[in-house]
Amino acid sequence: MGDKNKADTSLNPKQRSRREFLESAGTTAALASAVPVLGISTAQAQSDIESTAAKTRIQLTVNGSRHSVDVEDRWTLVEVLRDQLDLTGTKIGCDRSECGACTVIMNGKPVYSCSQLAVWADGTQVTTVEGLASGGQLSPVQQAFVENNGPQCGFCTPGQLMTATALLSNNATPNADEVKQALVGNLCRCSNYNAIVEAVVMAGERSGSAV
Amino acid sequence: MSEAIHIGLDPLNTIGNATARVDAVERVTGEAKYSRDFKLPGMLYAQILRSPHPHARIRSIDTSAAEALPGVRAVITGDNASVVWGAGSVSGGRQYNDPTKDATLHRRYIFNNPLRFVGDSVAAVAAIDRHTAEQALALIKVDYEELPFVLEPEAALEPGAPQVWPDGNLCPDFRNNFEPMVSNLGDVEAGFAEADQIFEERYETSFIHNAQMEPRAALAHWEADKLTLYSPTQGISNCRHDTARDLGLQDHQVRIICNYMGGGFGNKNQNQDADLVAATLSKQAGAPVMLEFSRRDDWLGVHGRWPTVQYYKIGAKNDGTVTAIQMRGYSGMGPYRKNSGGISGMDVYACPNRLRSISPVYTNRTTSGNFRAPSEPHGFYGVESMMDEVAYKLGVDPVEFTLKNMRRPTDDQPFTNYSLDEVITTGAQQFDWASRRKTTPGSDEGPIKRGSGFSFMMFRAGVGTSSAIVRVDAQRQYTLFVGVTDIGPGAKTTMGMIAAEELGVPLDQVEVVAGDTDRCPYSVGESGSRTTIQTGYAVMQAAKDLNQQIADSGMPTGSDVLIASATPNPSTDGKTRQCFGAHFVEVEVDTRIGTTRIVKYTTVHESGRIINPTTARDQIRGATLQGIGQALHEDLLYDPASGQPLTTGYYRARHLTHLDIPEIDVTFIEVDDGYGPFGAKTAGEAGIILAPAAMANAISNAIGVRMTSLPISRDKILEAMA
Repeated sequence: MGDKNKADTSLNPKQRSRREFLESAGTTAALASAVPVLGISTAQAQSDIESTAAKTRIQLTVNGSRHSVDVEDRWTLVEVLRDQLDLTGTKIGCDRSECGACTVIMNGKPVYSCSQLAVWADGTQVTTVEGLASGGQLSPVQQAFVENNGPQCGFCTPGQLMTATALLSNNATPNADEVKQALVGNLCRCSNYNAIVEAVVMAGERSGSAV
Repeated sequence: MSEAIHIGLDPLNTIGNATARVDAVERVTGEAKYSRDFKLPGMLYAQILRSPHPHARIRSIDTSAAEALPGVRAVITGDNASVVWGAGSVSGGRQYNDPTKDATLHRRYIFNNPLRFVGDSVAAVAAIDRHTAEQALALIKVDYEELPFVLEPEAALEPGAPQVWPDGNLCPDFRNNFEPMVSNLGDVEAGFAEADQIFEERYETSFIHNAQMEPRAALAHWEADKLTLYSPTQGISNCRHDTARDLGLQDHQVRIICNYMGGGFGNKNQNQDADLVAATLSKQAGAPVMLEFSRRDDWLGVHGRWPTVQYYKIGAKNDGTVTAIQMRGYSGMGPYRKNSGGISGMDVYACPNRLRSISPVYTNRTTSGNFRAPSEPHGFYGVESMMDEVAYKLGVDPVEFTLKNMRRPTDDQPFTNYSLDEVITTGAQQFDWASRRKTTPGSDEGPIKRGSGFSFMMFRAGVGTSSAIVRVDAQRQYTLFVGVTDIGPGAKTTMGMIAAEELGVPLDQVEVVAGDTDRCPYSVGESGSRTTIQTGYAVMQAAKDLNQQIADSGMPTGSDVLIASATPNPSTDGKTRQCFGAHFVEVEVDTRIGTTRIVKYTTVHESGRIINPTTARDQIRGATLQGIGQALHEDLLYDPASGQPLTTGYYRARHLTHLDIPEIDVTFIEVDDGYGPFGAKTAGEAGIILAPAAMANAISNAIGVRMTSLPISRDKILEAMA
């Protein structure tokens, strides 16, 4: 955005764009590989206010399906998932890496999709909550959430499930402390934490012992 | 998994059996559609510009550059969109109706001038996508005249304080009387004269944002003169009614849809300004409009629990009998009195001399309003901390002190049942209170100190009349139409279980249709812990009616159906109907760094018959944890120099995470008092009422210093030990 816009509303958080925020945050591992892309798009963004925003074509695989999407440089991964691919199971709770409601699995690791620019997702494999069940069968952790009341309001549930799934793929039978450590970045304001941890432990015990 | 202990009643056929939610699969697969998950053809995205100043007059707004931005479809401000948000300013939190709307002196509009807090709405934009809307906000030029501001309720009442409204900073009641809320029983002065000792202390509690995970959103869509709103609300019926009144429509011209809702804890009651802004933008743009709040929008634009200051004066005899309770309180309401500002708690004592005076006060902080048990957790913290202190100073066990002084049924005021003695003694035994508490507070040697605290309560749910409709077809499929929204506690499941029990069929034979005002009859809404008892009672009565019809005329055949409806007005025959509870907690305080760790947490509740043990257990555990967060962490800090809020977010307000969570032991003492659906009482707000008082008492028992300010953060513990 041009500087002229900053003067009027210096205390308004809206004035700080998504891209500016993510660039200044700059701690994510994906940043390094995305710098060349950002370098190009920053120049283009100067004219965004007056013209249609430039788009970059990215390819990504979501829940096993390949997608080719033309994305604006300011779009985040969660916007692509929700707005372009209609995968609205992934939620936006804070849009600032605080709450974890937007957690998806990218290349095997849980990430906050609100804090991944869409262009960074080029070439990645992404799993969302819609991809957990297969053949009409809930995954073990989904099934445990059903039985032990994992969701209250359910808004944090997709994120909790994705982090728990990533945990279980690395540690098939986690104990309660290990679950808490892994899920610390997923907030639940219903404070249904006890039930969530119990469900993840239960899922591990069931499928871990079956292996 | 850890199950609650149930004492007293055996399960029925459906009720009382641990039951998975009827919509659990939708909740774990991402199929559940929340308001922001809907997308309509041609839908625009909207954003709100908010005040950067705590108090300012708008001299002028220039929206021309925003309007000229390609992709912008509508820009509204107070100049071209003057809509009263009635429920945002109903003095004293009265139910919003025509007389109240007319009488309300200090009205809140969707855009106000002057602006009275950082976050007050200035303008809104609808555009083809959210980023264009965001860009357009930055192009709106506002000329602000900054005004003096005041943040603290006591300071706001001092002479010469900046005036939030021209009539002074003491909030008017719903009749526009500028008086404190006073409740006076007996004669406190006589009670103080009778006392051997007098105890006085000042307590304060912080603003607690509801901080529900789903930020507010509203999707508005007009078809001719009918408005459909996809809105996260805790009460679709009241949301419809309030929205219609605010927009000058009839109820039938508004349809509210909310099947899934990402938490509210009291801040999604009724309608919200977001609904009115989205509807107004949609009308102007001629297209569906999705208004999305950012987390910061939600933190500042939607209310939280009012901060309070409470001055107590207690008279007691040396034998531990309380002779007088006096409390003078101040509640910071922000610039609108959206709800009561109540500070409750002292009425759980039998002491005949009680004087309470509460001043709800305007400030230039963000608005205060209902949060799960609106008047209770902070009030119970104040009065039960005070009584705990009195007990220890008199050398009496706080549990014994409570059993001596708590309110009991009288001939004048009978209860439907009374189980507080059993609740407290069961909890004390389970927790091993006698050996865990420190007879001399702070007596542990060394820097790491343990101590235990206790709190107790009785609580009455909200009232109101709901309707329900039950239908059966020739295939013996039952459909229950009920106007609840499942905001988290599991109302859809609970309503289905009540219907299945009464109808004598399995739960999977009952489909529950909820969350849509065009399909469901009136329900009071998910507030005041009343859905199970009020709406559930309507479900039970409708099912009884249907059973009678089936008995009279047999099951329907062919394409025929039988339909029954009920709108009962549940009565308790003049008796007081309360739920009861007691919490016991042991904490370990590291006095070198000020941290508090929970060693053991025991809860005992009597909420009548428990409908679904699984969801009831987690109502208690979740609410207790919210109360622990209030006790230890949560606050909305303001910079006194600039009036800027500093902790608008989860990290900054330090909400509990997975790593902070102790085991919470839950016991239900079950009783069927003959009222409510199958004897069910209320549970949703019970847990949060008790946690702050129990935690504060435990910390004081550990360190030997009374903690008089919430949250009991690390710096306050370090200060107390210095």
